[in-house]
Amino acid sequence: MYKYVFRRLMLAVPVLLMSSLIVFGLMRVMPGDALTALMAESGNVGEKELKKLRMDLGLDKPYPEQYALWVWQMVSLNPGDSIFTNEPIPVALKKAVPVTLELATLAIILGLVIAIPIGVLSATRQDTAPDYVGRVVAVSGLSLPDFWLGTLVITFAAIWFHWIPPIGYTSLWDSPWRNLQQFLLPAAVLGFRLSAATMRMTRSTVLEVLREDYVRTAWAKGLAGRFVVYKHALKNALIPVVTIVGGQLGTLLAGTVVVETIFALPGMGRLTVEAILYRDYPVVQTNVMLVAATLVTLNLMVDLTYAWLDPRIRYR
Amino acid sequence: MAATDPRRPSRRSSVTRRDFVKRTGLGAAAALAVGGRWSRAAAAASPYPEWIPASTKPPKRGGVLTRASAWDPPVIDPRLTQSVGLYQFVGLTSNRLVRYPFSDEATTPSDLTLKGDLAESWAPSPDHRVWTFKLRQGVKWQNVAPLNGRELVAADVKYCFEQYAKEGVQAFTFQEIEGMETPDKYTLRVHLKTPNTLFPQNLAEPVAVIFSKEVMEEDGDLKKRLIGTGPYTLKEHTRKVRVVLQRNPDYFDKGRPYIDEYVILSTPDAATRLAAFRTGQADFIWLASPSEVETVRKTNPAVVVQSYHNTLAPFGLALAQDRAPFNDVRVRRAISMAIDRQKMVDTVFEGHGILGWGVPYIYYQDTPPTAKDLGPWWQYRPADAKKLLAEAGHPNGFETTLFYYEYFPQMTSEVQLVQQDLKKNLNINVKITKLDYTTYYGRYVEGKWDGMSWGFQSGHAIGLDERTYMYMHSKSTKNFFRVNDPVIDELTTKLRRTPDRNEQRAVAKKIVDREYDQVLRMWMPYDNGFLVFQPHMRNAAAGALRRSDGYGSPTLARAWLDK
Repeated sequence: MYKYVFRRLMLAVPVLLMSSLIVFGLMRVMPGDALTALMAESGNVGEKELKKLRMDLGLDKPYPEQYALWVWQMVSLNPGDSIFTNEPIPVALKKAVPVTLELATLAIILGLVIAIPIGVLSATRQDTAPDYVGRVVAVSGLSLPDFWLGTLVITFAAIWFHWIPPIGYTSLWDSPWRNLQQFLLPAAVLGFRLSAATMRMTRSTVLEVLREDYVRTAWAKGLAGRFVVYKHALKNALIPVVTIVGGQLGTLLAGTVVVETIFALPGMGRLTVEAILYRDYPVVQTNVMLVAATLVTLNLMVDLTYAWLDPRIRYR
Repeated sequence: MAATDPRRPSRRSSVTRRDFVKRTGLGAAAALAVGGRWSRAAAAASPYPEWIPASTKPPKRGGVLTRASAWDPPVIDPRLTQSVGLYQFVGLTSNRLVRYPFSDEATTPSDLTLKGDLAESWAPSPDHRVWTFKLRQGVKWQNVAPLNGRELVAADVKYCFEQYAKEGVQAFTFQEIEGMETPDKYTLRVHLKTPNTLFPQNLAEPVAVIFSKEVMEEDGDLKKRLIGTGPYTLKEHTRKVRVVLQRNPDYFDKGRPYIDEYVILSTPDAATRLAAFRTGQADFIWLASPSEVETVRKTNPAVVVQSYHNTLAPFGLALAQDRAPFNDVRVRRAISMAIDRQKMVDTVFEGHGILGWGVPYIYYQDTPPTAKDLGPWWQYRPADAKKLLAEAGHPNGFETTLFYYEYFPQMTSEVQLVQQDLKKNLNINVKITKLDYTTYYGRYVEGKWDGMSWGFQSGHAIGLDERTYMYMHSKSTKNFFRVNDPVIDELTTKLRRTPDRNEQRAVAKKIVDREYDQVLRMWMPYDNGFLVFQPHMRNAAAGALRRSDGYGSPTLARAWLDK
C-alpha cells in the first residue's frame, strides 16, 4: 500500500512538471503583460518607464531563466507577489482557497445527497414514474450549463421571493448563518450538475448489481428490501460512482469559476480569471499548479477509496 | 407607449417570454432583436427625467448606502490607474483642489461651474501661465496614522503634483507644470510651461485627487493605504469582496456627509447586480436600456429613474490614418457615409442612444448635435460613399482588418453592423478580431497597428482641455486615434489660450467642425442609459460626464437616505 502511494506520488512529479511548463508557456504566448494591463487607459505608457518596471519585475530576463526562478520559488514554497497588486500570493490564496474549498465541498455533499438516493430510487423503481422523474432531472443537470442555471436561480429568487443570498463574502467563522446563506444556492447549482452524472451512474450500477446472484440469494433468504439494497447492493455499486465523482472534480473546480462570478464569491476561480486577464503571471502559474496538485491528490484518494469499498482490491 | 408609462400598475412576479429571455441573459442578440421593434417609440416616449433636482426636505443623518458594483479597483494607487474601479470611491476619500458641482448644487446635469474643493479661490496671471490657488484653512487629513489628522498645507499639494508628474498615468497632465512655489502655508503658485486657461478644469478631473506625502514616503507607493481629506475614510478594502467607507467626522464641510457608511459590493455579474437592486441589497444601479428599466419597474414600481444623456461617445472606429488607404480623407469620408448610424441607435440601443461625437457638445452648443449638425460626411449616403471611394482609387473596395475588445455586448453588434455596411456599400471586406482586454489595450495604445480598431477615449475626463488638446493634439501621448492635423494642433493650442467662455465655445466648435470634416475620429453610436434609485435615495443624481456610480462619486457626499 505505502509502496503504491509512494509510486503514485513519484508519478505526480512529471505530471506537475509538465503542467508547469504548459502554464508558463501559455502565459508567455498570450500577447501583452501585466504592465500593459496595469497601465491600461492611461495613455502614458512610456517605453522607458515600462522597460524599467519590466526589469524590476524580472520580466526582461530570458524565458528559461524566468522559468527556473519560478520553479525554485514554488519548490521553496515562496511563490512571490502578485505583479498587479503587490500582494504576496500566499496571502491571496489564504483568502481564496477556503472559499472555493467550502463551495466545492458543499457542492459535492449536496450533489451526492441528491444523486445517490434518487439514483437508487430510480433503479429500484425502474420504469415507473419516480424513475422517469429521476432520469429527467439527471438529463437536465447534464444539459443545463452552470452559468445559465446560476443566472436563472438568482434572477427568479429575486423576482419570486424578493431574496437572494447576501452579497459580499462572510467567513464561516464570523457568521455561520450568513455564510450558509451565501453558499447554499451556489453550491446547489454546482451540486446539481455534479449530481446528474452521479445519479445516472448510481442508477445503472445499482440496476446491474441488483441482478447479481448474491442479491438474488439475499432476496431468497427473505431479507428486508431496504437491507438488501443498502447493505448488499449499494456498497458494491459505488465503485464506478466514486470513479465518476473523482473524474468530475476537475469539472467541479472549473464550474466554480462561473458560479463564483455569478454569486460574487471571492474564490480561486475569480482570482485566477482576474489574474489571467491582467497577465499576472505568478498568480496564474501558482493557482494552476495548486489546482493540478489538488487534482493529482484527489485522484489518488479516489483510487485508495476503492480498497475501502471493495476489500478484494489490494494495492501493491 | 404603455410599457414606459410610470403610472402603469405593476405586475409583480409575472414573467413574459421576453422577460425570461432578458432576465436570464440568454444572449444579447435575442434581446436586441426584440428591443429593436419598439425602440423609436420607447425613446420618444421615455417618461424619465434627465435631471432629479435636490430634495427640498431637510437632510437626515445616518444609514448605510450600498451598491453592487461591476468594478473592482485594480490598485488603490491613484498614480497608477484611471480605472473607474478606483474612482468609484476615491473621490469620497480624497479631495481635489477644485471640483464640479454636486447634484444638490447643480441646476442641470450640464452645470460645470467650477467650485472650490481644497482651494478656496484661484486666479491666473494675465498670460495664464501662472495660477495661484488659495487653500482652505483648517482642512485636516483623516485621523489615521501616520497623518493622525494633521492639517493639510500647500506643500502637500505641491508634493502630490510633483509625484503625479514624475510617473504614472497622469504624468502628461502634470508635466505641463514648470515649477511650483508655496509663498505661505495656504498658497500654491503653479507655473506652467505654456499658457493654459483650462488648467483648473484639469485639476477638477476626478482623477486629480490629493494624496498624502507620509504614506507615499513610508510605503514607496500608495498600493496599500489610501488616506485623504475627503468625507469618507477607507475602512475596508477586501479585493473582490467589498469596499467600505466610513463617515469622516473631521471632514471640513461641517455636518456632512450625511450617510454613515458607503458599502460597494464587488458583483461582477450583471444579473446578480440587478437581483441585488431588486431585493434591496443595492440602493442604486446603472441600466443600459429602456427595456431593462421596464423589467425592474415590474417588481419595483416605486424606483426613481434618471434618464442619463451622454454628451459624447467614448468609442468609435479608429483608422490607421497615418498610412494608406486611410491617410486619404476621401476614403475616411466614404467609410463614414457608408455606415448607417441611425440603424445602430434604433436596433442596438433600442432608440435610447446618441449618434456619436467625440467632444462633449455642452462645450460648444446647447443641444445635442443632430445628424445634420455632424455634417455631410456623417450622413448615411451609400451611393455617394461608393462614388467617393472610387474617386480615391478603390472602385472595387479593399481588404482590411478590425480588432476590438467587447466592453459591452452591444459593441459586438455595432462592429458587425459596420462590417456588414462596409461590405454591402463599398465592397470593403473587414476581417474582425475580438481580443481580450489586455491584448486589445496593448495593441491599441501602442499605435502601430494597420487597418481599423474599435477605438476609445478615456472615460473619466470632464474638462474641455482633456477632451480636445489631450486627445487630439499630435504631440499628446493620449492621442490614440493618431490624429495628425496641423489645423487641429493650432486650434487646440489656441483654445488653451482663450480665456473668454464665448470665444472658447467658438474655438471648440471650430475644432469639432474640422474633426467632422476631415473624419479624424469616426465616432459610433453609444447608449444613454439610466440610473435607477431606490425610492429613499436623495441628492444622488448624475451630472453630465460624471455618473454618481462612477467618476461622479464625490456627489455622494451630499446624498442622504430618506428612511
